[in-house]
Amino acid sequence: MRNFLAFIRRFRILLVFAFLQAIVLSTYFTFKEFPRSQYLTSASEINGRILTARNEVTKHFNLAKNNRNLQKENIRLRNKLPQSFTRLENGLVKIEDTLFQQQYEYVPATLIKSTHTKRNNYFTLDVGKAQGVDRGMGVFSDKGIIGVIHYSSEHFSVVKSVLTENINIDVMIEGSGQFGLLKWNGHDPRKGTMWGVSNDSDVKLWSKVVARGGGGIFPRGLTIGKVSAKKPVEGEPLWDIEVMYSEDYRSVQRVYVIKNLLKKEQEELEARIPADPIE
Amino acid sequence: MTIVIRHIIRFLIIGLLQVLIFNQIEVPWGVQFMPYPLFIFLLPIELGVVYLLLIAFGFGMFIDALSDTFGLHTSALLAFAYFKPMFFKLFSPRDGYESSVENSYSDLGLGWLIRTYGLLLLIHHFWFFMMESFKVNDILFTLQKTALSFVASFILSMVLQFLLISKSSKE
Repeated sequence: MRNFLAFIRRFRILLVFAFLQAIVLSTYFTFKEFPRSQYLTSASEINGRILTARNEVTKHFNLAKNNRNLQKENIRLRNKLPQSFTRLENGLVKIEDTLFQQQYEYVPATLIKSTHTKRNNYFTLDVGKAQGVDRGMGVFSDKGIIGVIHYSSEHFSVVKSVLTENINIDVMIEGSGQFGLLKWNGHDPRKGTMWGVSNDSDVKLWSKVVARGGGGIFPRGLTIGKVSAKKPVEGEPLWDIEVMYSEDYRSVQRVYVIKNLLKKEQEELEARIPADPIE
Repeated sequence: MTIVIRHIIRFLIIGLLQVLIFNQIEVPWGVQFMPYPLFIFLLPIELGVVYLLLIAFGFGMFIDALSDTFGLHTSALLAFAYFKPMFFKLFSPRDGYESSVENSYSDLGLGWLIRTYGLLLLIHHFWFFMMESFKVNDILFTLQKTALSFVASFILSMVLQFLLISKSSKE
């Protein structure tokens, strides 16, 4: 026992160092993989307030550009309104539509904090559970997909952005329909990687990459970017497809959170798939 | 007592500068400005190492909580605090340290500062970027980030140090 105490006294500093490192690194690696611990994020109330105060100052820096983007989007949406169409056939009466049921609802939000130079970049939004935003919902801007809600508190949420290592969004190439997973290699905030397209399929450069809508997070067809380069993966029958993002994540501010009204139904249905006996 | 208050003020100034300003500066090629280990470096020499580690833990958590890094900064800062006494012993002046000096340029000279602070900051940055990528095949990019960020952080630390110390000695 005395030897043991002497040992502890001798290596006291190293032990304290190792103990504290263990705490910190376990938090870091669990958080990197899965949102289990919920403290220490910018979604907590106090930190969220500090960041909101900062955003109050910095949001004006890109005001002109943001206004321009919003205006463009307004014009695009206005073009779809019934008022912008001339009536070709008289006598049509609009009745309540039972053929279409609304599947997606959108919550407008502002990015109050974002980074793009880290290996894994998380964004903070100024909406939370009070606005009905919760974990697993998709986030997009007028130009492309931003990410998936990682954790949300009462009034703030943290988004796991497209600029993280394992964002794994279900994407497909428009037109040909080959699908794969979106990943990010951490080097260039303008480019991502699409993984899982078999190299016997013909992938055209500059074809559009859109969401496949598989996980029920993003509506099918939401833009992500364009195929800017492809090269074969060594040792695997796959293409390494480089995707040029259509959104510039370095300056995005106005975003929308997607609420999928039919997600529960889809999940219930998919839960009934029997487990694969081989695995 | 005044020395405690002085260090608390430095905690807040350096911590908030890091979180609100330096974290927001985004530069390509993986450059990050991280001069915040300066706070740990400026803590008195006679402070026990266990206390040093605990303070580093607290300060790192403060930085982490506001930059969404979940403990990455704390981990690197603990390494910084752990190696600090060793490097101080290694590069100690011939007569040892006087208890009244600040660990700064004005009291101990530029050569000493570059050797001790520079090496400690290099360890901190290397630890930080290794833990961040956690992959051996990204080693070249990690080294590039370490080297470039190190230069940026070191220059920034020197500037901060001149500002903070001259201010506190006037008080």
